[in-house]
Amino acid sequence: MSKIVAITGAGAMSECMRQINPDVVPAFPITPSTQVIEDFSQFVADGKVDTEMITVESEHSAMSACIGAAAAGGRVMTATSSAGMALMWEMLHIAASMRQPVVMSLINRALSAPINIHADHSDSMGARDAGWIQLYAENNQEAYDNLIMAPKIAEHMDVRLPIMVCMDGFIISHCVQTMQLEDDNKVKEFIGEFESTYPVLDTQHPATWGALDLQDYYMEHKRAQHMAMKNAKDVIEKVSTEFANIFGRKYELFESYRLDDAERVIIAINSVCGEIKEVIDERREAGDKVGLLKIRSFRPFPYEEIAQALEGVKIVTVLDRSESMGAYGPLFVEIRAALFDEPEKPMVYNRIFGLGGRELFMSDIHDIFEENKTYLETGKVEKRFDYLKVRGG
Amino acid sequence: MKEKYRLKDWQELPLGGVVAEGGNSADYETGTWRTSRPVWVEENCINCLNCWVFCPEDAFLLKDGVTKKGTPRKEIKSINYYHCKGCGLCARECPVNKKGKKIAIDYVKEEH
Repeated sequence: MSKIVAITGAGAMSECMRQINPDVVPAFPITPSTQVIEDFSQFVADGKVDTEMITVESEHSAMSACIGAAAAGGRVMTATSSAGMALMWEMLHIAASMRQPVVMSLINRALSAPINIHADHSDSMGARDAGWIQLYAENNQEAYDNLIMAPKIAEHMDVRLPIMVCMDGFIISHCVQTMQLEDDNKVKEFIGEFESTYPVLDTQHPATWGALDLQDYYMEHKRAQHMAMKNAKDVIEKVSTEFANIFGRKYELFESYRLDDAERVIIAINSVCGEIKEVIDERREAGDKVGLLKIRSFRPFPYEEIAQALEGVKIVTVLDRSESMGAYGPLFVEIRAALFDEPEKPMVYNRIFGLGGRELFMSDIHDIFEENKTYLETGKVEKRFDYLKVRGG
Repeated sequence: MKEKYRLKDWQELPLGGVVAEGGNSADYETGTWRTSRPVWVEENCINCLNCWVFCPEDAFLLKDGVTKKGTPRKEIKSINYYHCKGCGLCARECPVNKKGKKIAIDYVKEEH
């Protein structure tokens, strides 16, 4: 039965995994994703799922086991964070290239050094070229809903790509929020049975996996992978519509919050969007035409759709919660690329915030809207790129 | 000889670079790799089959034959240039070549 529960983000992920009841879960604990697997292993111990849980010796092994189990013909899930996913690096690419629809809960956390366990997006943004679908979530409910949709998107025959469902470490993963926990059977019914392709355990139809691929075929395989990721855009929309029809919550590739007549817009990812919405509501009360574009799907990236949504907007502040040293932030780069072909481009600039979990308060967001107001009035972007809330300027 | 191997378009490939059937390496043309080629000189060949033993590509094809005394044996039939990479091991291991008086497997530059 569907019910409202008070639960942490990580707890919501493990509840969702219980409902999905995957065949195999190989995992290695790392803060802040630990609770996902901790809670789920309790479900395994209590016999609430049929999952084969594999406790491996490292994240590299965890992702290797995911790929092997998926190739064998199973539905596979795992969870990790930060350095854990960094250790999976080689295998992330292999999961995507071997077209295994592995589902991962990624609890976003900063990368070392200096060592830091709090939220930023340097883990997932670093992995943006690994060939995984990336969905982001503002809160527990969205993360839970994304994870319900994840297997259906990843396993679609036009896609067959691994998917990571991302949320901010601690801010979402460890904070209790109320959310709608859907009925077990309805979730199972929505996801359906896993359909495997060329399963290794099918000895009647032997196949070779991961064979040497030289100059004559490698590029064709990459081209096919590119197409799968392009297809993913339509499939995400299709699955999201199906989800809305059954569960009543509608998600797009990105969320447009009070964007229709907005002149000044912030574009951001994940939990900070909650505060931004509050600030927008306050400013709208005073007649200030401000809005938010919140990214849900970063890979595939909806370039045309975003350009269309920003039509009429005069200035855009792109907030990046990760650094690409010596370059602009990863979200900013995409947004600028999306807008380049538009006849009337808004002014666009980039701010880095929240690295290693540093808070961005509502007053800071008011400051951002004050700054882009000044930029718009003077017609000049004083600083294209800057850090927010860093001592020494 | 197999039908010439056609390189497929990306739309035709099985998912994830899988090789979806067994034993299809015989379909793969390695003959295009040659820079030199062995040429079998039948009248000088003693049918010791050393070339057939050493060939890494199984490119020496055999036929049934008999010795001078009438005992059945296998003899060299031809070289399969679809698979021969032109490594030259056959010419080097040929005992007739080694004696130095005659050439049973010549090794010449590939003409493209």
